[in-house]
Amino acid sequence: MSSSDRQTANQLTPLSPAFFHILLSLGEGERHGYALKREISRRTNGKLNLGPGMLYGSINKMLALGLIEESDNRPDPHLDDERRRYYRITSYGRKVAQAEAARMRELAQLATATFGSPKHA
Amino acid sequence: MPSAPFSLKLYRFLLKLYPAGFRDDYAGPMECELRDELAESSGPFALTKLWLRLLADLAVSIPLQFSRELSQDVRHTLRLWANRPGQTGFAILALAIGIGANTGVFSVVNALLLRSLPFHDPSRLVSLGTFFPPHSSAKEFHEWTQQQGTYLADAALIEQFDVNLGAAQSPVRAHLSYTSWNFFAVLGAHPVLGRWFCDGEDTPGKNAVAVISYGLWQQLFAGDQRALGSTIRMNGMPLTVIGIAPAGFNYPNKSDLWYAANYSPGNNGWQTIARLQPGITWPQARAAFVVEADRLWPRRDELGNSEHHPKMASLQDELAGPLKNASLMLMAGVILILLIACSNVANLLMARTADRATELSIRSALGASRARIVQQLLTECLLLSFVASIAGLLVAFWTISLATKVQPAPLPTQSYSILDGRVLCFAAAAAIASSVFFGALPSLHAGRAQPSGARVSSSTRDAGLIRQALVAGQVMLTIILLTASVSVGRAFVRVMKTDRGFAAKGLVTVSVSLDGTTRGVAGHQLPYFEEALDRVRRLPGVRSASETEFLPLGATGFVGGPFGFDGHAAKQNSTMIPVSSDYFKTMGGRILYGREFTDAEVRSDALIVVVNERFAEEFGSAADALEHEVTIGKSTPRKIIGVVTGMDYMTDTMDTAHSNQIFVPVHSPGGFVSTFVARVDGRAEDSLPAIRDTIRAVDTQVPVFGVKTMEQRMTDAVARPKFYRTAVLFFAAFALFLAVIGIYSVVSYAVARRTHEMGVRLALGASPAALRRTMLGQGLLTVVAGAIFGIAGAMFTGRFLESLAEGAKSVDLATLISSFLSIALVASASIWAGTRRIARLDILELLRIE
Repeated sequence: MSSSDRQTANQLTPLSPAFFHILLSLGEGERHGYALKREISRRTNGKLNLGPGMLYGSINKMLALGLIEESDNRPDPHLDDERRRYYRITSYGRKVAQAEAARMRELAQLATATFGSPKHA
Repeated sequence: MPSAPFSLKLYRFLLKLYPAGFRDDYAGPMECELRDELAESSGPFALTKLWLRLLADLAVSIPLQFSRELSQDVRHTLRLWANRPGQTGFAILALAIGIGANTGVFSVVNALLLRSLPFHDPSRLVSLGTFFPPHSSAKEFHEWTQQQGTYLADAALIEQFDVNLGAAQSPVRAHLSYTSWNFFAVLGAHPVLGRWFCDGEDTPGKNAVAVISYGLWQQLFAGDQRALGSTIRMNGMPLTVIGIAPAGFNYPNKSDLWYAANYSPGNNGWQTIARLQPGITWPQARAAFVVEADRLWPRRDELGNSEHHPKMASLQDELAGPLKNASLMLMAGVILILLIACSNVANLLMARTADRATELSIRSALGASRARIVQQLLTECLLLSFVASIAGLLVAFWTISLATKVQPAPLPTQSYSILDGRVLCFAAAAAIASSVFFGALPSLHAGRAQPSGARVSSSTRDAGLIRQALVAGQVMLTIILLTASVSVGRAFVRVMKTDRGFAAKGLVTVSVSLDGTTRGVAGHQLPYFEEALDRVRRLPGVRSASETEFLPLGATGFVGGPFGFDGHAAKQNSTMIPVSSDYFKTMGGRILYGREFTDAEVRSDALIVVVNERFAEEFGSAADALEHEVTIGKSTPRKIIGVVTGMDYMTDTMDTAHSNQIFVPVHSPGGFVSTFVARVDGRAEDSLPAIRDTIRAVDTQVPVFGVKTMEQRMTDAVARPKFYRTAVLFFAAFALFLAVIGIYSVVSYAVARRTHEMGVRLALGASPAALRRTMLGQGLLTVVAGAIFGIAGAMFTGRFLESLAEGAKSVDLATLISSFLSIALVASASIWAGTRRIARLDILELLRIE
């Protein structure tokens, strides 16, 4: 990662939970909207349950920021529908996700140093 | 809870609430997602839970997406504006003036006609105009009110005067209303302190009580509650204060205090207000009033003014008076201005949209739907309208401050203000309606633009037609405003040129009132006036000085009656004007035959008069009137010693007809107000302080007021008609300016679009001048089409102009022709200027590029 890339990636942090989870999900491979939603819901034990409006609103913004891009592939033929859209993470999206993870790690370390680790983590 | 297919249908419908861009991109995937969710949600509970989540999601995400697309569109619009600052600035200016002037004038209409009066159930209050119920005594009047129970719940009388008020040493002038005791009960007002008049307090012996205004309470008593029961002196007469009116209550006519009516037979200075019986309709009440007026007909006839009929009007309309129609006329004017401004901006936007055809086609090819493009253009229009509205607020504030100065509201609660719910709603509605009006055509036109070139030519042709129609509409509205301005302007010039019977230049006026002062006592008045007049006449620069009871243009009351000539009654009542010696010389009046009064005649109360030409001519030649006698009733006849040109005593400057006037000599005029007049050398303004101080120095306890030059009085008197004239003139000039811009832009745009065609024609041998003439003919055709409708409109609207200026109603042929010619001339110049590019076309260069 060049220093200028890191700088722009850092400018986008902190990411909203929805953005970060979308990036995390897409980090594992291409997904369509509903698959993303289900993956995020599973990952957060149902705490982050994005409705279609919020999900595609986030996707719209992330496409504009260049964090993700639309894919022409249709890897899941069972659920395929010509109107369904598939997305994948961009290399810039990966950098931003890394920057966000680093930020969270630093924050977690600081919290641990200040408050200690929970006994029943 | 909705079943699965219905859920999908409903959701599809709700997706339409998203902005166009987002909808274009994601409606399909979102629907797919819902289908997946529905497949996984079985049972009513799961479905309910799903829909609750969906609705919450829609509620949050729709506004969010709207704000995102809006900010995108706003940024795009600002970039476009920055590329064409001149065009954008012009559009904003035109709309700002249109919306601002509309908001300003509407705030006046709102205050005068829409906002409720500060009285109980004001819609039931009426004014009975040119109608005099029996009022020889309080008993007679109140018996009459009880008889009117069929249609009037109650009625009250009002008469107004200016009086001297306060301590004997330094009285102030105050506006007093004599009222019947039930005046406040009729209005349904409540005192802030004390009480109103009681039954019987308008009869002699019980009437030494007064109610004072909130303002006077603060001024004289600094808001002290002990004001109640204290004594104030009105023209020297002690009155006990029994009540304080609430703040803002100063009806009628900015009254400072109210005093019980002084009934007398034959007094026709009364105004009658009443409250309608509950349940009775206006037509029923009017019918009953006509019957009552007919019953009292003989009394009405005593007025000697048969052209005025009794009239029942709502108190609100009566208070608005002539301002009502004038304000409505101005409102119509500013609406026309806004329409013209909108047509112009629509025209500009049409041209701009056409110029952006390539950009819009590319966006369309890249997937932007028609709805998305229209949304972007509408945002552009709304933004234009919004910025113009903000700028328009300045215009509105300026309009209001001007209106407050020129035609102040009759009541304090009717003050003109933009910060009023109704006015703000109107401003918002005007802005939105404007943006829809000027944005609809360009947006629809742009929405139809397709990437393929097949429809371009037909769509261009349509756009050309629409733009020409807009120009024709503008020309039509401009002609209406032009004829109105010519008509109102000519009427105003007539008013200014009217011979008022005196020379205002170099004339100083100062009023005094001896009422209630030690000088007001019989026997003390003559020495006061003699001394004051003597001192003024001896001042350096004063050529002559005199005094009178009524001053031209500013008379607030009259005395007069059925004067006759050698015992023969005149057709009309005459006004009697008490004046001192040298009056006509000082006023710059014209003595046609005979002479005016001398000092000796004034001092000796000689039985002589000076009459105006109109009175004298009723009985033969004016020159022969001298030495004849003026008679009235059984009074001793008075000999006519002079005939003069009548003076204009009417406060309404539009009413220039002079009445019969009888000038009588008096050494101490002062039934109403005494006014000193002095003709001075040099500027009258420079002499004002010296003359005022000289009169004040004669006796400091006598209030001195109305210190003005006659020219100032003249300016004040014509301020309103002058304002209307200026406003209409401004409307017309602005409309003409917009029309010129509109015509020019249409023509120059047409030339730009037809450059290729022009080049071919030039190559085939046509001369540039011939091509320009063809364009001129085509352009003028549009102008003439608009002008024909404009002339019809002007003839229709002409009759309403009377409310702005007397005599402005007739839109004559000359006005119509001159308006048409001026717009045709201006249009020709615009078209000629718009086609100048043809003359510069280089055929070889053009064909090489092609």
